[in-house]
Amino acid sequence: MLGFIKKDIIMLKSNFKTLAILIVVYIIMAFKGIMDISFILPFISVMIMISTFSYDEFNKWNSYACTLPNGRKNVVKSKYISTLLMIIITTFIVGLASFIITYTQTQKVNYEEILSIILGTSFATILLESFMYPTIYKFGVEKARIGIFVSVFGIAIIGGLLSNIFNFGKVLELLKLLENYIIIIIPIIMVVMLYISYKISERINLNKEF
Amino acid sequence: MDNILEVKNLSKKYLEFELKNVNFNLPKGMIMGFIGENGAGKTTTIKAILDIIKDYSGEIKILNFDNKKETTKIQENVGVVLDDMFFPEILTPNDINTIMKDTYKNWDSNLYFKYIKDFSLPLKKQIKTLSKGMRKKLEIVTALSHHPKLLILDEPTSGLDPIARNEVISIFQDFIQNGECSIFFSSHITTDLEHIADYITFINNGEIVLSKTCDELLNEYGIVKCTEKEFDTLDKKDYVKYIKTKCEYDVLIENKKAFNTKYKIKTIDNITLEDLMLIMVKGVK
Repeated sequence: MLGFIKKDIIMLKSNFKTLAILIVVYIIMAFKGIMDISFILPFISVMIMISTFSYDEFNKWNSYACTLPNGRKNVVKSKYISTLLMIIITTFIVGLASFIITYTQTQKVNYEEILSIILGTSFATILLESFMYPTIYKFGVEKARIGIFVSVFGIAIIGGLLSNIFNFGKVLELLKLLENYIIIIIPIIMVVMLYISYKISERINLNKEF
Repeated sequence: MDNILEVKNLSKKYLEFELKNVNFNLPKGMIMGFIGENGAGKTTTIKAILDIIKDYSGEIKILNFDNKKETTKIQENVGVVLDDMFFPEILTPNDINTIMKDTYKNWDSNLYFKYIKDFSLPLKKQIKTLSKGMRKKLEIVTALSHHPKLLILDEPTSGLDPIARNEVISIFQDFIQNGECSIFFSSHITTDLEHIADYITFINNGEIVLSKTCDELLNEYGIVKCTEKEFDTLDKKDYVKYIKTKCEYDVLIENKKAFNTKYKIKTIDNITLEDLMLIMVKGVK
Protein backbone atom coordinates (compact mmCIF):
# COMPACT_ATOMS: atom_id res chain seq x y z
CA MET A 1 0.00 0.00 0.00
CA LEU A 2 2.94 2.31 0.67
CA GLY A 3 3.62 2.27 -3.07
CA PHE A 4 0.11 3.52 -3.81
CA ILE A 5 0.39 6.32 -1.22
CA LYS A 6 3.69 7.33 -2.80
CA LYS A 7 1.95 7.41 -6.19
CA ASP A 8 -0.66 9.87 -4.93
CA ILE A 9 1.94 12.06 -3.26
CA ILE A 10 4.13 12.09 -6.39
CA MET A 11 1.06 13.06 -8.42
CA LEU A 12 0.47 15.98 -6.08
CA LYS A 13 3.98 17.32 -6.62
CA SER A 14 2.87 19.56 -9.46
CA ASN A 15 0.24 21.09 -7.18
CA PHE A 16 2.60 21.75 -4.27
CA LYS A 17 3.64 25.10 -5.79
CA THR A 18 0.00 26.27 -5.92
CA LEU A 19 -0.51 25.14 -2.36
CA ALA A 20 2.67 26.91 -1.18
CA ILE A 21 1.55 30.16 -2.85
CA LEU A 22 -1.85 29.85 -1.17
CA ILE A 23 -0.23 29.33 2.22
CA VAL A 24 1.87 32.47 1.76
CA VAL A 25 -1.19 34.48 0.63
CA TYR A 26 -3.15 33.15 3.60
CA ILE A 27 -0.44 34.11 6.07
CA ILE A 28 -0.07 37.62 4.60
CA MET A 29 -3.84 38.21 4.60
CA ALA A 30 -4.17 36.92 8.13
CA PHE A 31 -1.26 39.10 9.34
CA LYS A 32 -2.76 42.18 7.72
CA GLY A 33 -6.16 41.25 9.11
CA ILE A 34 -7.72 41.52 5.64
CA MET A 35 -9.69 38.31 5.66
CA ASP A 36 -9.66 34.97 7.44
CA ILE A 37 -9.28 32.31 4.79
CA SER A 38 -8.07 29.58 7.14
CA PHE A 39 -10.78 27.16 6.06
CA ILE A 40 -9.81 27.47 2.40
CA LEU A 41 -6.43 25.73 2.65
CA PRO A 42 -7.54 22.27 3.84
CA PHE A 43 -10.54 22.54 1.52
CA ILE A 44 -8.25 23.17 -1.46
CA SER A 45 -6.01 20.29 -0.41
CA VAL A 46 -9.02 17.94 -0.70
CA MET A 47 -9.97 19.43 -4.05
CA ILE A 48 -6.38 18.85 -5.25
CA MET A 49 -6.64 15.23 -4.10
CA ILE A 50 -9.89 14.90 -6.03
CA SER A 51 -8.05 16.10 -9.14
CA THR A 52 -5.80 13.01 -8.88
CA PHE A 53 -8.92 10.90 -9.48
CA SER A 54 -9.23 12.51 -12.91
CA TYR A 55 -5.70 11.44 -13.86
CA ASP A 56 -6.40 7.94 -12.52
CA GLU A 57 -9.62 7.72 -14.47
CA PHE A 58 -8.10 9.00 -17.71
CA ASN A 59 -5.45 6.27 -17.76
CA LYS A 60 -7.69 3.58 -16.23
CA TRP A 61 -5.31 3.30 -13.29
CA ASN A 62 -7.96 1.69 -11.08
CA SER A 63 -8.35 -1.22 -13.52
CA TYR A 64 -4.58 -1.63 -13.82
CA ALA A 65 -4.26 -1.49 -10.02
CA CYS A 66 -6.57 -4.53 -9.81
CA THR A 67 -3.72 -6.59 -11.27
CA LEU A 68 -1.21 -5.45 -8.61
CA PRO A 69 -0.91 -7.18 -5.21
CA ASN A 70 -3.98 -6.38 -3.11
CA GLY A 71 -4.68 -3.61 -5.62
CA ARG A 72 -8.46 -3.39 -5.35
CA LYS A 73 -8.26 -2.68 -1.60
CA ASN A 74 -5.06 -0.68 -1.55
CA VAL A 75 -6.14 1.73 -4.25
CA VAL A 76 -8.99 2.92 -2.00
CA LYS A 77 -7.08 2.75 1.29
CA SER A 78 -4.17 4.77 -0.09
CA LYS A 79 -6.49 7.49 -1.42
CA TYR A 80 -8.11 7.93 2.00
CA ILE A 81 -4.75 7.95 3.77
CA SER A 82 -3.15 10.41 1.33
CA THR A 83 -6.13 12.75 1.67
CA LEU A 84 -6.07 12.48 5.43
CA LEU A 85 -2.35 13.32 5.38
CA MET A 86 -3.06 16.39 3.26
CA ILE A 87 -5.84 17.48 5.63
CA ILE A 88 -3.65 16.96 8.71
CA ILE A 89 -0.71 18.87 7.22
CA THR A 90 -2.75 21.83 5.96
CA THR A 91 -4.83 22.01 9.15
CA PHE A 92 -1.62 21.93 11.18
CA ILE A 93 -0.21 24.80 9.09
CA VAL A 94 -3.43 26.79 9.59
CA GLY A 95 -3.41 26.10 13.35
CA LEU A 96 0.25 27.02 13.71
CA ALA A 97 -0.18 30.19 11.64
CA SER A 98 -3.19 31.25 13.74
CA PHE A 99 -1.14 30.67 16.87
CA ILE A 100 1.80 32.74 15.65
CA ILE A 101 -0.39 35.52 14.27
CA THR A 102 -2.55 35.96 17.37
CA TYR A 103 0.53 35.78 19.60
CA THR A 104 2.55 38.37 17.66
CA GLN A 105 -0.41 40.70 17.35
CA THR A 106 -1.91 40.48 20.83
CA GLN A 107 0.83 38.83 22.92
CA LYS A 108 -1.90 36.43 23.98
CA VAL A 109 -3.01 33.12 22.56
CA ASN A 110 -6.68 32.37 22.16
CA TYR A 111 -6.54 28.59 22.33
CA GLU A 112 -10.28 28.26 22.05
CA GLU A 113 -10.33 30.11 18.76
CA ILE A 114 -7.42 28.10 17.34
CA LEU A 115 -9.08 24.88 18.42
CA SER A 116 -12.36 25.91 16.83
CA ILE A 117 -10.51 26.72 13.56
CA ILE A 118 -8.79 23.31 13.61
CA LEU A 119 -11.97 21.41 14.48
CA GLY A 120 -14.12 23.35 12.03
CA THR A 121 -11.79 23.03 9.05
CA SER A 122 -10.98 19.36 9.63
CA PHE A 123 -14.68 18.55 10.13
CA ALA A 124 -15.69 20.34 6.93
CA THR A 125 -12.95 18.73 4.84
CA ILE A 126 -13.54 15.23 6.23
CA LEU A 127 -17.25 15.67 5.60
CA LEU A 128 -16.44 16.61 2.01
CA GLU A 129 -14.10 13.63 1.60
CA SER A 130 -16.59 11.24 3.20
CA PHE A 131 -19.35 12.25 0.79
CA MET A 132 -17.26 12.70 -2.32
CA TYR A 133 -15.12 9.55 -2.34
CA PRO A 134 -17.82 6.85 -2.35
CA THR A 135 -19.67 8.90 -5.01
CA ILE A 136 -16.50 9.06 -7.11
CA TYR A 137 -15.89 5.31 -6.77
CA LYS A 138 -19.48 4.62 -7.74
CA PHE A 139 -20.09 7.10 -10.56
CA GLY A 140 -16.68 8.40 -11.63
CA VAL A 141 -15.17 11.79 -10.91
CA GLU A 142 -17.12 13.87 -13.45
CA LYS A 143 -20.56 12.66 -12.42
CA ALA A 144 -19.56 12.87 -8.73
CA ARG A 145 -18.65 16.55 -9.12
CA ILE A 146 -22.06 17.35 -10.55
CA GLY A 147 -23.69 15.14 -7.93
CA ILE A 148 -22.02 16.93 -5.05
CA PHE A 149 -23.10 20.37 -6.30
CA VAL A 150 -26.66 19.16 -6.72
CA SER A 151 -26.63 17.62 -3.21
CA VAL A 152 -25.21 20.75 -1.54
CA PHE A 153 -27.73 22.93 -3.36
CA GLY A 154 -30.53 20.48 -2.49
CA ILE A 155 -29.57 20.34 1.19
CA ALA A 156 -29.47 24.16 1.36
CA ILE A 157 -32.95 24.44 -0.20
CA ILE A 158 -34.44 21.69 1.98
CA GLY A 159 -32.80 23.22 5.08
CA GLY A 160 -34.21 26.63 4.19
CA LEU A 161 -37.69 25.24 3.65
CA LEU A 162 -37.61 23.23 6.88
CA SER A 163 -36.44 26.22 8.92
CA ASN A 164 -39.53 28.08 7.77
CA ILE A 165 -41.81 25.23 8.81
CA PHE A 166 -40.23 24.01 12.06
CA ASN A 167 -38.85 25.73 15.10
CA PHE A 168 -35.19 24.85 15.50
CA GLY A 169 -34.91 26.49 18.90
CA LYS A 170 -34.87 23.14 20.71
CA VAL A 171 -32.10 21.80 18.48
CA LEU A 172 -30.02 24.87 19.24
CA GLU A 173 -30.65 24.38 22.96
CA LEU A 174 -29.44 20.81 22.69
CA LEU A 175 -26.32 21.96 20.82
CA LYS A 176 -25.62 24.47 23.61
CA LEU A 177 -25.85 21.65 26.16
CA LEU A 178 -23.28 19.68 24.16
CA GLU A 179 -20.96 22.66 23.79
CA ASN A 180 -18.62 21.48 26.55
CA TYR A 181 -18.24 18.07 24.94
CA ILE A 182 -17.81 19.29 21.40
CA ILE A 183 -14.04 18.71 21.53
CA ILE A 184 -14.72 14.99 22.00
CA ILE A 185 -17.88 14.67 19.93
CA ILE A 186 -16.56 16.23 16.71
CA PRO A 187 -13.46 14.00 16.42
CA ILE A 188 -15.61 10.93 17.14
CA ILE A 189 -18.08 11.94 14.44
CA MET A 190 -15.18 12.54 12.04
CA VAL A 191 -13.64 9.11 12.67
CA VAL A 192 -17.01 7.33 12.34
CA MET A 193 -17.90 9.27 9.21
CA LEU A 194 -14.54 8.56 7.58
CA TYR A 195 -14.62 4.88 8.51
CA ILE A 196 -18.13 4.37 7.11
CA SER A 197 -17.22 6.28 3.96
CA TYR A 198 -14.02 4.22 3.53
CA LYS A 199 -15.88 0.94 3.96
CA ILE A 200 -18.50 1.97 1.40
CA SER A 201 -15.82 2.99 -1.11
CA GLU A 202 -13.89 -0.22 -0.51
CA ARG A 203 -17.02 -2.30 -1.06
CA ILE A 204 -17.86 -0.43 -4.26
CA ASN A 205 -14.35 -0.96 -5.62
CA LEU A 206 -14.18 -4.63 -4.58
CA ASN A 207 -17.35 -5.37 -6.53
CA LYS A 208 -16.68 -3.06 -9.44
CA GLU A 209 -16.46 -4.41 -12.95
CA PHE A 210 -13.71 -2.69 -14.93
CA MET B 1 3.30 -31.45 -18.04
CA ASP B 2 2.20 -28.97 -15.33
CA ASN B 3 -0.15 -26.21 -16.37
CA ILE B 4 0.60 -22.67 -15.25
CA LEU B 5 -2.84 -21.45 -16.40
CA GLU B 6 -6.05 -23.45 -16.54
CA VAL B 7 -9.34 -22.02 -17.75
CA LYS B 8 -12.38 -24.27 -17.36
CA ASN B 9 -15.89 -23.49 -18.58
CA LEU B 10 -15.44 -19.73 -18.37
CA SER B 11 -18.70 -18.00 -19.22
CA LYS B 12 -19.81 -14.42 -18.94
CA LYS B 13 -22.92 -12.74 -20.27
CA TYR B 14 -23.29 -9.14 -21.39
CA LEU B 15 -26.34 -7.66 -23.08
CA GLU B 16 -24.98 -8.09 -26.58
CA PHE B 17 -22.06 -10.45 -26.10
CA GLU B 18 -21.36 -13.72 -24.37
CA LEU B 19 -18.28 -15.77 -23.50
CA LYS B 20 -19.38 -19.37 -23.87
CA ASN B 21 -17.61 -22.16 -22.00
CA VAL B 22 -14.07 -21.05 -22.69
CA ASN B 23 -11.59 -23.85 -22.00
CA PHE B 24 -7.82 -24.03 -22.47
CA ASN B 25 -4.61 -24.86 -20.61
CA LEU B 26 -1.20 -23.25 -20.82
CA PRO B 27 1.69 -25.55 -19.78
CA LYS B 28 4.76 -24.29 -17.93
CA GLY B 29 7.58 -22.94 -20.06
CA MET B 30 5.34 -22.27 -23.06
CA ILE B 31 4.00 -19.26 -24.94
CA MET B 32 0.36 -19.25 -25.94
CA GLY B 33 -0.90 -16.88 -28.60
CA PHE B 34 -4.51 -15.84 -28.17
CA ILE B 35 -6.04 -14.73 -31.45
CA GLY B 36 -9.41 -13.60 -32.70
CA GLU B 37 -10.98 -10.63 -34.42
CA ASN B 38 -11.93 -7.41 -32.58
CA GLY B 39 -14.79 -8.05 -30.19
CA ALA B 40 -14.29 -11.84 -30.25
CA GLY B 41 -13.76 -11.96 -26.48
CA LYS B 42 -9.97 -11.82 -26.06
CA THR B 43 -9.86 -8.89 -23.64
CA THR B 44 -12.91 -10.15 -21.72
CA THR B 45 -11.18 -13.52 -21.26
CA ILE B 46 -8.00 -11.80 -20.08
CA LYS B 47 -9.97 -9.59 -17.69
CA ALA B 48 -11.72 -12.65 -16.25
CA ILE B 49 -8.38 -14.45 -15.79
CA LEU B 50 -7.14 -11.38 -13.89
CA ASP B 51 -10.44 -11.10 -11.98
CA ILE B 52 -10.93 -7.53 -13.19
CA ILE B 53 -14.48 -8.29 -14.32
CA LYS B 54 -17.08 -9.84 -12.05
CA ASP B 55 -20.01 -12.26 -12.27
CA TYR B 56 -18.41 -14.78 -14.56
CA SER B 57 -18.78 -18.49 -14.05
CA GLY B 58 -16.21 -21.26 -14.43
CA GLU B 59 -12.90 -22.04 -12.83
CA ILE B 60 -9.60 -20.30 -13.44
CA LYS B 61 -6.35 -21.48 -11.90
CA ILE B 62 -3.05 -19.68 -12.13
CA LEU B 63 0.00 -21.50 -10.70
CA ASN B 64 -2.57 -23.83 -9.14
CA PHE B 65 -4.15 -20.97 -7.18
CA ASP B 66 -7.83 -20.15 -7.61
CA ASN B 67 -8.00 -16.70 -9.22
CA LYS B 68 -10.90 -15.56 -7.00
CA LYS B 69 -9.63 -16.87 -3.66
CA GLU B 70 -5.87 -16.44 -3.75
CA THR B 71 -5.58 -13.27 -5.76
CA THR B 72 -2.63 -11.72 -3.93
CA LYS B 73 -0.45 -14.83 -4.40
CA ILE B 74 -1.32 -14.78 -8.08
CA GLN B 75 -0.73 -11.03 -8.45
CA GLU B 76 2.76 -11.33 -6.93
CA ASN B 77 3.64 -13.86 -9.64
CA VAL B 78 1.95 -12.43 -12.71
CA GLY B 79 3.13 -9.57 -14.91
CA VAL B 80 0.45 -7.78 -16.90
CA VAL B 81 0.23 -5.54 -19.94
CA LEU B 82 -3.31 -4.40 -20.67
CA ASP B 83 -4.57 -2.43 -23.61
CA ASP B 84 -4.81 1.27 -22.56
CA MET B 85 -4.58 0.66 -18.82
CA PHE B 86 -1.54 1.88 -16.97
CA PHE B 87 -0.16 4.45 -14.55
CA PRO B 88 -1.44 8.05 -14.73
CA GLU B 89 0.49 9.77 -17.48
CA ILE B 90 1.88 12.59 -15.34
CA LEU B 91 4.23 10.04 -13.73
CA THR B 92 7.71 9.23 -15.04
CA PRO B 93 9.48 5.85 -15.46
CA ASN B 94 11.53 6.80 -12.39
CA ASP B 95 8.32 7.33 -10.38
CA ILE B 96 7.10 3.88 -11.44
CA ASN B 97 10.18 2.33 -9.85
CA THR B 98 9.56 4.31 -6.64
CA ILE B 99 5.97 3.07 -6.52
CA MET B 100 6.53 -0.53 -7.57
CA LYS B 101 9.37 -1.26 -5.14
CA ASP B 102 6.82 -0.76 -2.37
CA THR B 103 4.11 -2.68 -4.22
CA TYR B 104 5.74 -6.00 -5.23
CA LYS B 105 7.75 -8.08 -2.77
CA ASN B 106 10.08 -9.18 -5.58
CA TRP B 107 10.43 -5.89 -7.41
CA ASP B 108 13.94 -5.72 -8.88
CA SER B 109 15.00 -2.09 -9.41
CA ASN B 110 18.29 -3.13 -11.03
CA LEU B 111 16.47 -5.27 -13.57
CA TYR B 112 13.96 -2.47 -14.21
CA PHE B 113 16.70 0.10 -14.84
CA LYS B 114 18.57 -2.41 -17.03
CA TYR B 115 15.49 -2.87 -19.24
CA ILE B 116 14.92 0.90 -19.28
CA LYS B 117 18.49 1.34 -20.53
CA ASP B 118 18.23 -1.54 -23.04
CA PHE B 119 15.07 -0.03 -24.53
CA SER B 120 16.55 3.51 -24.42
CA LEU B 121 13.62 4.82 -22.39
CA PRO B 122 13.98 8.21 -20.65
CA LEU B 123 13.83 8.01 -16.86
CA LYS B 124 12.57 11.46 -16.03
CA LYS B 125 10.10 12.24 -18.79
CA GLN B 126 6.40 12.08 -18.05
CA ILE B 127 4.59 9.13 -19.63
CA LYS B 128 2.41 11.53 -21.61
CA THR B 129 5.45 12.79 -23.52
CA LEU B 130 6.49 9.30 -24.64
CA SER B 131 5.59 7.94 -28.06
CA LYS B 132 3.06 5.09 -28.27
CA GLY B 133 5.84 2.60 -28.87
CA MET B 134 7.94 3.85 -25.94
CA ARG B 135 4.91 3.73 -23.67
CA LYS B 136 4.23 0.14 -24.70
CA LYS B 137 7.86 -0.76 -24.00
CA LEU B 138 7.57 0.85 -20.57
CA GLU B 139 4.46 -1.24 -19.84
CA ILE B 140 6.34 -4.40 -20.83
CA VAL B 141 9.39 -3.45 -18.74
CA THR B 142 7.10 -2.80 -15.75
CA ALA B 143 5.43 -6.20 -16.20
CA LEU B 144 8.79 -7.98 -16.28
CA SER B 145 10.61 -6.39 -13.37
CA HIS B 146 9.21 -8.33 -10.40
CA HIS B 147 10.34 -11.73 -11.74
CA PRO B 148 6.85 -12.97 -12.59
CA LYS B 149 6.23 -16.60 -13.48
CA LEU B 150 3.46 -15.79 -15.91
CA LEU B 151 3.07 -12.85 -18.25
CA ILE B 152 -0.45 -11.99 -19.38
CA LEU B 153 -0.25 -9.57 -22.26
CA ASP B 154 -3.08 -7.94 -24.18
CA GLU B 155 -1.75 -6.71 -27.52
CA PRO B 156 1.79 -6.07 -26.21
CA THR B 157 3.36 -5.49 -29.62
CA SER B 158 0.75 -3.13 -31.07
CA GLY B 159 2.22 0.29 -31.75
CA LEU B 160 5.79 -1.01 -31.86
CA ASP B 161 7.96 -0.64 -34.94
CA PRO B 162 9.50 -3.86 -36.38
CA ILE B 163 12.82 -3.30 -34.57
CA ALA B 164 11.19 -2.75 -31.20
CA ARG B 165 8.91 -5.74 -31.81
CA ASN B 166 11.94 -7.85 -32.48
CA GLU B 167 13.59 -6.66 -29.23
CA VAL B 168 10.44 -7.37 -27.26
CA ILE B 169 10.02 -10.82 -28.77
CA SER B 170 13.59 -11.77 -27.96
CA ILE B 171 12.99 -10.66 -24.34
CA PHE B 172 9.89 -12.88 -24.24
CA GLN B 173 11.96 -15.80 -25.55
CA ASP B 174 14.59 -15.22 -22.84
CA PHE B 175 11.84 -15.03 -20.26
CA ILE B 176 10.65 -18.59 -20.87
CA GLN B 177 14.14 -20.07 -21.20
CA ASN B 178 14.28 -21.58 -17.69
CA GLY B 179 11.21 -23.71 -18.45
CA GLU B 180 9.32 -22.41 -15.41
CA CYS B 181 7.83 -19.24 -16.85
CA SER B 182 5.07 -18.87 -19.43
CA ILE B 183 3.41 -16.18 -21.52
CA PHE B 184 -0.24 -15.76 -22.47
CA PHE B 185 -0.28 -13.28 -25.27
CA SER B 186 -3.13 -11.81 -27.30
CA SER B 187 -2.20 -10.20 -30.58
CA HIS B 188 -3.49 -9.09 -33.94
CA ILE B 189 0.02 -9.27 -35.35
CA THR B 190 -0.10 -12.96 -36.14
CA THR B 191 3.39 -13.05 -37.67
CA ASP B 192 4.81 -12.31 -34.19
CA LEU B 193 2.96 -15.32 -32.85
CA GLU B 194 4.17 -17.56 -35.67
CA HIS B 195 7.72 -16.72 -34.53
CA ILE B 196 7.36 -17.36 -30.83
CA ALA B 197 4.10 -19.10 -29.86
CA ASP B 198 4.13 -22.77 -28.87
CA TYR B 199 0.34 -22.88 -28.68
CA ILE B 200 -2.39 -20.99 -30.48
CA THR B 201 -5.84 -20.52 -29.02
CA PHE B 202 -8.39 -19.02 -31.33
CA ILE B 203 -11.55 -17.36 -30.05
CA ASN B 204 -14.44 -16.38 -32.27
CA ASN B 205 -17.70 -14.82 -31.16
CA GLY B 206 -17.02 -15.71 -27.51
CA GLU B 207 -16.21 -19.37 -28.21
CA ILE B 208 -12.89 -21.16 -28.44
CA VAL B 209 -12.78 -22.63 -31.91
CA LEU B 210 -9.38 -24.24 -31.58
CA SER B 211 -6.50 -24.55 -29.15
CA LYS B 212 -3.51 -26.45 -30.55
CA THR B 213 0.26 -26.35 -30.75
CA CYS B 214 1.52 -23.88 -33.32
CA ASP B 215 3.50 -26.62 -35.10
CA GLU B 216 0.41 -28.80 -35.38
CA LEU B 217 -1.52 -25.90 -36.88
CA LEU B 218 1.09 -24.75 -39.34
CA ASN B 219 2.17 -28.25 -40.42
CA GLU B 220 -1.14 -30.08 -40.55
CA TYR B 221 -3.64 -27.42 -41.57
CA GLY B 222 -3.63 -26.20 -45.15
CA ILE B 223 -5.57 -24.23 -47.72
CA VAL B 224 -6.78 -26.05 -50.80
CA LYS B 225 -7.12 -23.83 -53.84
CA CYS B 226 -9.66 -25.39 -56.16
CA THR B 227 -12.23 -24.72 -58.87
CA GLU B 228 -15.97 -24.92 -58.31
CA LYS B 229 -16.02 -28.32 -60.05
CA GLU B 230 -13.29 -29.67 -57.76
CA PHE B 231 -14.98 -28.15 -54.72
CA ASP B 232 -18.20 -30.00 -55.52
CA THR B 233 -16.34 -33.31 -55.20
CA LEU B 234 -15.28 -32.56 -51.60
CA ASP B 235 -16.97 -34.26 -48.68
CA LYS B 236 -18.10 -31.73 -46.02
CA LYS B 237 -16.36 -33.82 -43.34
CA ASP B 238 -13.00 -33.27 -45.00
CA TYR B 239 -12.78 -29.51 -44.65
CA VAL B 240 -13.32 -26.97 -41.88
CA LYS B 241 -14.63 -23.93 -43.78
CA TYR B 242 -14.24 -22.31 -47.18
CA ILE B 243 -14.24 -18.89 -48.79
CA LYS B 244 -15.34 -18.38 -52.37
CA THR B 245 -13.13 -15.83 -54.12
CA LYS B 246 -13.64 -14.38 -57.64
CA CYS B 247 -12.16 -17.31 -59.49
CA GLU B 248 -11.55 -20.08 -56.97
CA TYR B 249 -12.43 -21.65 -53.65
CA ASP B 250 -10.06 -21.38 -50.65
CA VAL B 251 -10.82 -24.40 -48.51
CA LEU B 252 -9.39 -24.80 -45.01
CA ILE B 253 -8.45 -28.40 -44.22
CA GLU B 254 -7.28 -29.92 -40.93
CA ASN B 255 -5.06 -32.68 -42.26
CA LYS B 256 -3.01 -32.16 -45.38
CA LYS B 257 -1.75 -35.78 -45.52
CA ALA B 258 -5.19 -37.36 -45.21
CA PHE B 259 -6.57 -34.94 -47.80
CA ASN B 260 -3.74 -35.73 -50.22
CA THR B 261 -4.39 -39.45 -50.08
CA LYS B 262 -8.16 -39.05 -50.63
CA TYR B 263 -8.28 -36.33 -53.32
CA LYS B 264 -6.34 -35.59 -56.47
CA ILE B 265 -6.27 -31.79 -55.95
CA LYS B 266 -2.61 -30.87 -55.77
CA THR B 267 -2.72 -27.17 -54.91
CA ILE B 268 -2.51 -27.21 -51.13
CA ASP B 269 -0.85 -24.15 -49.61
CA ASN B 270 0.72 -24.01 -46.19
CA ILE B 271 -1.34 -21.94 -43.81
CA THR B 272 -0.51 -18.74 -41.97
CA LEU B 273 -2.32 -17.67 -38.81
CA GLU B 274 -3.77 -14.77 -40.74
CA ASP B 275 -5.29 -17.14 -43.36
CA LEU B 276 -6.62 -19.30 -40.57
CA MET B 277 -8.27 -16.35 -38.82
CA LEU B 278 -9.74 -15.06 -42.06
CA ILE B 279 -11.30 -18.35 -43.16
CA MET B 280 -12.49 -19.25 -39.66
CA VAL B 281 -14.22 -15.89 -39.27
CA LYS B 282 -15.42 -15.14 -42.79
CA GLY B 283 -15.70 -18.65 -44.18
CA VAL B 284 -18.74 -20.91 -44.36
CA LYS B 285 -19.18 -24.64 -43.95
